[in-house]
Amino acid sequence: MWTITCRRLKRNQRGISNIIVVVLSLVIILAIVSNIVLWNYEMTQLDWEKMKENVAITNVERETEPSGSQFTFQNSGGLTVHLVSLWIISPTDHQQYDVNVFINSAETKTYEDNIPLPAGNYTVKVVTERGNTAVYSGS
Amino acid sequence: MRKLSRSRRGITPVLSSLLLTVIAVAGMSIAITATYVITDGLHDNMGERFIVEDVWFTGDNNDTISLYLRNVGKISIKVAAVYVNREDRLVASLELEQGKHDELNVTCDWIADSAYEIKVVTRRGTQVVDYYMSPP
Repeated sequence: MWTITCRRLKRNQRGISNIIVVVLSLVIILAIVSNIVLWNYEMTQLDWEKMKENVAITNVERETEPSGSQFTFQNSGGLTVHLVSLWIISPTDHQQYDVNVFINSAETKTYEDNIPLPAGNYTVKVVTERGNTAVYSGS
Repeated sequence: MRKLSRSRRGITPVLSSLLLTVIAVAGMSIAITATYVITDGLHDNMGERFIVEDVWFTGDNNDTISLYLRNVGKISIKVAAVYVNREDRLVASLELEQGKHDELNVTCDWIADSAYEIKVVTRRGTQVVDYYMSPP
């Protein structure tokens, strides 16, 4: 019975083109959908990681020898944080510095650099690679 | 050889097969290109992320707002418009590669100690909007 059915199918080629068209269409649709779903997953992951970040500037101190500043950052989030930008903002100037500081989860890190702090009131702001910011006000 | 050149039987099926192949290949090419274009557009729209790092109300005559933007997404972005209190203020467009940051100066008269709604819009339509206080 099975052999007869196979022979019939081999001889009768009507409807083959329809099957090919359907298969090709399915392949194209699958390619589009999987591509979008995977990319969407990646971007959702990025947003989720951004939400999980929690970094704070706990202390800023002036240093005299050598002159500069000491910044203390605390990462209380669940992911490693990469600080990429540091701002010193005063009423008369907004100064940006590129930094490259990694802070592990639940770690407090001190960062020293030759960054002058302005006299009077100032605000220190750090920006993470994922786009979060932490702000500290001092004088 | 002469027989073959004189006999024209079988030409029509060959031509029809050839034509059908050309049409099928062209159709598939169009379908694949359309797929690529649609997917690429959606990719780009979903992959855009940027932040306004800092806003500085400056200028000798209180006439400039400096915006510092950072691209934190997966693709490069191009700033197409900046609205300050819903008025288009962009003078020069800005293109930012992935992970890069830059400054964008907007010419706009501002008053001290006032709130300004600043909206930054990219060419693909992604927007970041927030309120910023000018210094006293």
